[in-house]
Amino acid sequence: MPDLISILSQASGSLAAHRESAAVASQNIANVNTPGYSRQTANLEALTPAELVANGFLGRGVGVQSITQARDSFLERQVPHALSSKGWSSTESDALSAVSALDPEAAGGLGSALSAFYSSLRAVSQNPADPALRRAAVSATQTLTRSFNRTSMAIEDARSGLDDKINGVVDEVNTAATNMASLNAQIRTARAGGAEPNDLLDARRRLQDKLTELTGAVPVSNKQGDVSMALPGGTALVSDDRAAQLQTIPDSSNRGHLTLRMTRADGSGPVSLPTSAAGGVLGGSLSARDGTMGAASAALDTLAFDLATSANAVHGAGFAQDGTTGHAMFSVGATSASAASLIDIDPALLANPALLAAASSAAGLPGNNQNILALIATERTALAGGFDPATSFTNIVSSFGASSQRARAMADQDGAMMDHLTQLRESVSGVSLDEEMVKLTAAQRAFEAMSKVITTADSMLDTLMSLK
Amino acid sequence: MRVTDRMMFDTATLNAAKSRDRAQAAMEEVTTGMRVQHPGDDPAVAAAMVRGRQVVDRMDAINQNAGRAGDEVDAADQALQSLATVLSRARELAVQLGNDTYSASDRAGGAAEIDALVRQSVTLMNREVNGRFIFGGDQDRTPPFDIAGNYTGDTAVRQVEVAPGVLEDASVRADIAIKGVGGGVDLFATLQALSTALTTNNGNGIRGALTDIDSATTQVTSTLAKVGSMGDAFATAQTLATTTRDATVKTVATQAEADIFAASSKLALANHALDATLTAAAQSFRFSLMDKL
Repeated sequence: MPDLISILSQASGSLAAHRESAAVASQNIANVNTPGYSRQTANLEALTPAELVANGFLGRGVGVQSITQARDSFLERQVPHALSSKGWSSTESDALSAVSALDPEAAGGLGSALSAFYSSLRAVSQNPADPALRRAAVSATQTLTRSFNRTSMAIEDARSGLDDKINGVVDEVNTAATNMASLNAQIRTARAGGAEPNDLLDARRRLQDKLTELTGAVPVSNKQGDVSMALPGGTALVSDDRAAQLQTIPDSSNRGHLTLRMTRADGSGPVSLPTSAAGGVLGGSLSARDGTMGAASAALDTLAFDLATSANAVHGAGFAQDGTTGHAMFSVGATSASAASLIDIDPALLANPALLAAASSAAGLPGNNQNILALIATERTALAGGFDPATSFTNIVSSFGASSQRARAMADQDGAMMDHLTQLRESVSGVSLDEEMVKLTAAQRAFEAMSKVITTADSMLDTLMSLK
Repeated sequence: MRVTDRMMFDTATLNAAKSRDRAQAAMEEVTTGMRVQHPGDDPAVAAAMVRGRQVVDRMDAINQNAGRAGDEVDAADQALQSLATVLSRARELAVQLGNDTYSASDRAGGAAEIDALVRQSVTLMNREVNGRFIFGGDQDRTPPFDIAGNYTGDTAVRQVEVAPGVLEDASVRADIAIKGVGGGVDLFATLQALSTALTTNNGNGIRGALTDIDSATTQVTSTLAKVGSMGDAFATAQTLATTTRDATVKTVATQAEADIFAASSKLALANHALDATLTAAAQSFRFSLMDKL
């Protein structure tokens, strides 16, 4: 038969349960704006009856059986891929959009400089002995080389900017990977105590999302509940409670731009990490740097080298005003490597415009224009790449534009997909203040009622104690 | 669908950002007047813009060169027209003074006029345009004819580009037209022979000069016809260059420039959408259970 003390005891336990419910609601409300927070629910359960009274069992009140997080594993599994894709495409799109050197209306752009170069040669062809026209042609030639230099430098600056970004991302990745490995260990320890460490799980999921967005790594769970992260291609970035570390080193075969290396989670290495092993922001940065921008940079180098070689061959066959021959028009390296950065007007020609070889023979001096006409003809002559200079440059612009447009379309699509998934995930895991206020009020009411039970039992006890 | 507070804030933020992005893009289109700013906006049109600019610059250069060449050809035409007039006057004098009724004194006066015509012809054939002696071939920095009518120029014919890859003669060979190289007559020698015949009162010599004067006139007339066709070619080249340039500008503008009315409508629409987004967001934030409890 229950005594009044057991009622007080039961009420006290129930009071604690409702206080915990209120605390969980309070925790949810406090984290209403916390990114990656999953709302928690205090699951109340009637305590197992333990006392047989007359014809039935008397319950022992209520207790919090567990505190669980609201998560949808179906949605959770879709997030990594979407996050990685968004990280890649938005990074690539942003990087390519920031390059304005190839804009069709760019002031002082290479297209204009190329046109001005040939226009100046046309002017000289009309009056080859005119010193003013020669000076203008030399100036236009120098402007063309400077335009090559500036365009190449702008693209290379953008590539170097991506190197800085890659360095920053690598630092973030290393920190996040280390923290995630540490969290794996903490979660394993906490679970050994028999309870779900919900806030640690949230923290790990935030790091997991971050690593996925930054590197394209996907989570892999094991039976112990550890979550490892595998880079595209399968290399482990986080292996249980150990983390690999990424490094960057300059690559001399890629104009000194950074390449990735990794010290594996087991401490071995460092080993070179192929570009294909990087996804997310890292992969997008590498793709923009070495893909579209690298291709544009290399194509500019080829154009500069081929144009200089072609023009030098023609110019060298002509005769300068002083009757000498064999003069170069451009100075450029022996190969196309970095040619757009290195190309310059021949210093002797710059110093003395009379060296512009307009004539095809010494006898034709000073008015012969046949060699200038041959130089003008290089405007329509296919270079080594199969296209004339103007078409070669147009191809660079259109190729860059097509890549930029594709990256932007992918970024829009991936962004929309990620926004949609984020909304769905938030719909399941996010905090609703209205809901939490209702839960808080319900807990408060129950708490008040249990307080009343205690008051009543206490009163009954007083009554009993005052019997004489 | 369960709607959380954060979803409302995120939705408001996201949609406001999208609306502002659209409004910004529309604003840029309206203020710059260009639909394509970056190659990624429309790669094909961006390439067409680059190509179009090159065509425009090329046509401008060709137009300018053809104009300059046309000026030289016009100057050559004027000089040759004057030379034809000189020859005509020389023929008149030869016909008139070839009559034996004229005295030696009359013929000496005619010789003086012929000598003056020779000097005038030298001046005409040393015509200079923009620092170039247009009858000197490649030797265009010095007068091609000396006072005695000797030719110091060369046999080169200047060529000028009238269309990409198409060259047109822009000068005539004075050694042929004036000096009769290749089977013609030497205009100066003819006039000087007439002068000598007049000075020496040689009636047969005066009358005999008529044949060479006629041949020289034919040479000059023939050269004039050639110069005339060159002038036509350069005028046509200028017209074609202008037409091609204008057509290219129009084509590129059609593709790359913004339709200002459409762009303005787009801007107004984007602004309305932004306004609606912000209004809706503000409305959705108004209701909360916390205000009722």
